[in-house]
Amino acid sequence: MYPIINKDYCKGCNLCVEVCPKRVFEKGMEITHRGYYAAVVKYKEQCTNFKIPNGGKPLCEICWLTCPEHAIEFKED
Amino acid sequence: MEFFDFYRKDRWPHQFCPGCGLGTIMNCLYKAFNDLNIDIDKTVFVSGIGCTGRVPGYINADSLHTTHGRAIAFATGIKLSRPDLNVIVISGDGDLFAIGGNHIIHAARRNIDLKVIAVNNANYGLTGGQMAPTTPYNMITTTTPYGQREYPFALAELIAAAGANYVARWTTAHPNQLVKSIKEAMQTKGFSFIEVISQCPVNFGRRNKMGDPVFHLRWIKDHSVPISKMTFDINSPYDIVDLNTKGIYIIGDLVKRNRSPYGEIEKEIEVKGPQE
Amino acid sequence: MLTPGRYFLAGNIAAAEAALIAGCRFYAGYPITPSSELMEHMAKRMPEENGVFIQMEDELSAISAIIGAAWTGKKAMTATSGPGFSLMQENIGYAAMTETPIVIVDVMRGGPSTGQPTIVAQGDVLQSRFGSHGDYETIVLAPNSVQELFDLTIRAFNLASIFRNPVIVLSDAELAHMVEKIEVAQKYDIVEFNQVEVDLVPSFVPLGYGFKVAVTGLTHNFKGYPITNDVKVHRELVTRLVDKIIKNEPTISDVEIINPEAETIIVSYGISSRAAYPIIKDNKDVGLFRPRTLWPFPESKFKEIVKGKRVIILEMNLRGYAIEVERVGRKYGGKDFETIHIIGGEVPKPSHIEEVL
Repeated sequence: MYPIINKDYCKGCNLCVEVCPKRVFEKGMEITHRGYYAAVVKYKEQCTNFKIPNGGKPLCEICWLTCPEHAIEFKED
Repeated sequence: MEFFDFYRKDRWPHQFCPGCGLGTIMNCLYKAFNDLNIDIDKTVFVSGIGCTGRVPGYINADSLHTTHGRAIAFATGIKLSRPDLNVIVISGDGDLFAIGGNHIIHAARRNIDLKVIAVNNANYGLTGGQMAPTTPYNMITTTTPYGQREYPFALAELIAAAGANYVARWTTAHPNQLVKSIKEAMQTKGFSFIEVISQCPVNFGRRNKMGDPVFHLRWIKDHSVPISKMTFDINSPYDIVDLNTKGIYIIGDLVKRNRSPYGEIEKEIEVKGPQE
Repeated sequence: MLTPGRYFLAGNIAAAEAALIAGCRFYAGYPITPSSELMEHMAKRMPEENGVFIQMEDELSAISAIIGAAWTGKKAMTATSGPGFSLMQENIGYAAMTETPIVIVDVMRGGPSTGQPTIVAQGDVLQSRFGSHGDYETIVLAPNSVQELFDLTIRAFNLASIFRNPVIVLSDAELAHMVEKIEVAQKYDIVEFNQVEVDLVPSFVPLGYGFKVAVTGLTHNFKGYPITNDVKVHRELVTRLVDKIIKNEPTISDVEIINPEAETIIVSYGISSRAAYPIIKDNKDVGLFRPRTLWPFPESKFKEIVKGKRVIILEMNLRGYAIEVERVGRKYGGKDFETIHIIGGEVPKPSHIEEVL
């Protein structure tokens, strides 16, 4: 699983881009329906939790913990 | 417990500004509660006025949003009449230490079994970024347009001196440690106090060249020193007050004591006089 | 608790014992002359009744603590005097907004400011009603003897429980320290929370039972969520808060009327009303209207007797209840209004009234 950004909640603060040690996120260029530049998940395969199956306990959840809007969820397509 | 069992989904997304540290603290609070499996039906969240004062309103538990500065006093009333409840006070630095400074030092002195999370964003965020008792020296706020010219409070050290059982300071740049600290506080009997240095990019950062939340978070990270790397020397120019004046924060568990909480002091307390 | 029978008690002690009979099990306070004996007595008696007593660091926290305790379902009270009562005003407004049942015994002393700490006055009459900001109502009771202080303190807890509102008992320095005979009845009607259903008063759901109650002093909707910029929500909430007291005024108000047919009516309350009794005893031309409930103003009772009458208002302040008595009196056809204002610590004597008569 890897992080997915919920565009309903993201306010584009880009703290996830800052805190992720694996540089999974990147600043977004597209404006969301709420008027924010939501961050995007660019390199999902770099995420520490990438090989953990859906619903497992994530190894690193610094982005999830930091995201002030609770916009990040760990999921698998 | 899912995230939205802990928070009220019908009130989400919350009203805080983009990049506000309160959201991070809310995540940490949820994680600590989830990990410890604490019954939120037996928990009451109390807050005063301010941005931080709005946090308990989002929690799907009993919450009391009180008058400015009096959160600790309300919590004292709740805890004393229902000692079986966990009473958690979440409030800001201005609320707890400026207008409510008297109550918190007395609650720490009594060692009432309250858990206090003081969110220190170094200014009055809700009212538009005025100077707080925690604003570091020379910082610009709306009421200190020429720079702050006072010595700020060292919150955690003050409460440690007042006699709390558990005192820690963490920042929003250390969420994992903060979760651990909240767990520790929940398991400590007696007055537990956690100061969380938080970013306020919109009202504090913006006037101090940290308008981007990322810059503000970096500033906080760069200005926090783990307590293990500190050596305390009374003659050192880097004593606590000086550090605090510069906005340098000592992070970590500052105090762990085992004094009996209020209402459980039964034995005669031995008071040792000065050693000759 | 006091067993039924006769006792010889000071006002402060009687009020404390009455609170215990009414079910008060939480007292937080801060010492202030002349209410300190009440607190001292509570410190002794609360542990005996399995209640909680705490001496807080100031009056602000005293009232905060009792509101907190009230929200866990305890009957809670505090006692204070003038300067402390001023400090409590903000949280009286909070208690009104959050509909918290609390009881405050305000032992009035000479003001303004520190004033005359040991001397009697009736200067808190308007403050007890208008002290906090915004629109709200309080229920204020004014006893004139130790027996009545005892009875009205019990009633104060009942009214607080019924109407979910702060109730203030206006005692005073004279009443607090005066030792009188009181009679404790066999049984008192004690109203618990949610026992009586009244229009416009929602049921009280305490914290700590898993009901996920959200309490806030902000304008809130029925869920307790803050909604601060909606005209309709605010209007509905505050109108209800005021109406629940004003519309129930006939059931709340309690007055003593002597010689209602008399041409001249003395309006007085609390300790100063005791000066009127010797006069009306010998003189059938003078009547007495003595509200035991100062606020809400006992309009329904006053309008029945005031028409065409000369009204003399006797109280121990310069501008107090007379304003409201005159306003309501004129509305219902009162003819002539005179006021006797005695301050400085002298308790009104019958001679003061005779001078005006």
